[in-house]
Amino acid sequence: MVYLDNAATSGRKPEQVIRAVDNALRNHSANPGRGGYRAAMSAAELIFDCRKKVADLFGTDRPDKVCFTAGCTEALNFALKGALSPGDHVIASSLEHNAAARPLYALSKRGVGVDFAEVIFGDDDATVRSFERLIKRNTKVIMCMHASNVTGHILPIGKIGKLCRERGIIFIVDAAQTAGVIPVDMAENCIDILCTAPHKGLLAPMGVGVMVCLADLPNTVIEGGTGSMSVSREQPAELPDRFESGTVNLPGIAGLSAGIDFVRSRPSGSIYKHELSLITEAYDGLAATRGIRLYTERPEPGRFMPVLSFNTDNLSSNEVAAQLDNYGIAVRGGLHCAPNAHRRIGTLDSGTVRISTGYFNTRADIASFIAAIRKIARR
Amino acid sequence: MKKYLINTGTITNAARGRDILRKNGISAYVGTVKGNIAGAGCGYGIIVTGMPAVERARQFLKANGIKIISVAETVK
Repeated sequence: MVYLDNAATSGRKPEQVIRAVDNALRNHSANPGRGGYRAAMSAAELIFDCRKKVADLFGTDRPDKVCFTAGCTEALNFALKGALSPGDHVIASSLEHNAAARPLYALSKRGVGVDFAEVIFGDDDATVRSFERLIKRNTKVIMCMHASNVTGHILPIGKIGKLCRERGIIFIVDAAQTAGVIPVDMAENCIDILCTAPHKGLLAPMGVGVMVCLADLPNTVIEGGTGSMSVSREQPAELPDRFESGTVNLPGIAGLSAGIDFVRSRPSGSIYKHELSLITEAYDGLAATRGIRLYTERPEPGRFMPVLSFNTDNLSSNEVAAQLDNYGIAVRGGLHCAPNAHRRIGTLDSGTVRISTGYFNTRADIASFIAAIRKIARR
Repeated sequence: MKKYLINTGTITNAARGRDILRKNGISAYVGTVKGNIAGAGCGYGIIVTGMPAVERARQFLKANGIKIISVAETVK
C-alpha cells in the first residue's frame, strides 16, 4: 500500500514506538497514579517521563501542565469548554476542523458569542487584522489551527499569539497537523493552551491526545477518579489531574514517548523538508496533468504543511479515492471533517481528494500516485 | 533519622518536586500518603530524610509553585 493519508494518522509507526507499546503492555501493566506498589510507581514514572518530553518539545518547563486526553478532539473540548462560560466571546479561524467547530457551535447555543476570522491566504498581516477586528470587550479566547488539514496553509500563530498577549486574551492552538513536523514553541508564540494529536506527526499510536495548559480553566468537562484527594467531591484544581479523570492510556503514552524520541533524533528540519518536497513533487505532477483542479499555489517552505487537495474534472472526490484504492494508494476524499475550510475554498459541495505525506513516504510513492491519477483522470 | 512524607496531593507534583529536590542535592523519592485518609484523601508525596531536609525542601517546593498539603512522619 502507498499510504498518503498522514493528515488522518501516520500510517506507519517506527519500530521503537511499537516496541515501547509492547513493553508497556508486557512490563508496566499496572495503573499509574493509583497505588503505591513498585509496578504502579514504575508505570507512573513512565507517564511522568513522557510529560517531561512533551513539555520540553513545546517549549515549557512545566510537565505538570501536560494533560493526556483521549485525542486532540477531547483536548480541544476541554480547552474551549474549560475556558469559556456564558457571556464570554471567542474568535476562531475560518478554517477550523470540526474538532473545534462543533464544540464552538455547542458553546454558542449556551450563550457564548462565537465569531470566525477570515484567513487571507498569502497575507499573514491581513489574517491577523481579521482576528483583531472581531475583538470585543468580552473576548476571552482566540483559537486557531496551526495549519489546515485541507489546504495545508500554515497560519501566523506567532503574530496572533502576540496580539492575544497584548490584549490579555487566552490563545488556544490546535497543532494537530504540525506537532512533530515543524517547531511549535508555546513561549515564542505566546500560546496559552496547545492541543495536539500525537498519532499524526509524532508517530504515536491512536488513542492519546495532549493538552498543554498554561492558562487557568474555570470549567471541567469530565469529572471522576484522579487518584488524589479522593475524599473531596470536587474535581481537583491542580493539573494534570483536573483534566485526567480515570485511567490514562499508558501503552499509548509509552508509544508517544518513543515517537517524540524518534522525531527529535532526526536532524532539525529534515522531516519537514522531506515531507514537503514530496508534496511539492505531487503538486508539480498534478499541475502537469489534464483534468486536474488544484486549490492552492505551489507549496513553499514555511507557508504550507505537506497536505494537498485537488479534484478531477470527471469524477467525484470519493470516487477518485475509491479508484486510487484499487491501485493500492490510500488517500481521503470528501470534507475531511472540515466543512469550514471547504466553504472557504469553494469545495463544500464536492469535497476534495486529499493527499498528505509522512516520514516514511518516498519519491516512488509519489511517482505511483501520479501514474495512477493520470489514468483515473483520463476516464 | 526519621523519614517524612511531604504530601503534594498529585503524583505529578510529587514527581516534579522530587526532581527539583534532587537537582538541589536533597535525596528524595515519591511515596504514597499513609494514614489520615479521611483528612487528605488518597495521594502522593515526596519522602525525605530528617527535618533539616524537610525545611530545605519546603523552600525549594514553594519557590517552584508546588503546594504542600501536609508533612508527616512516615515509615517508608
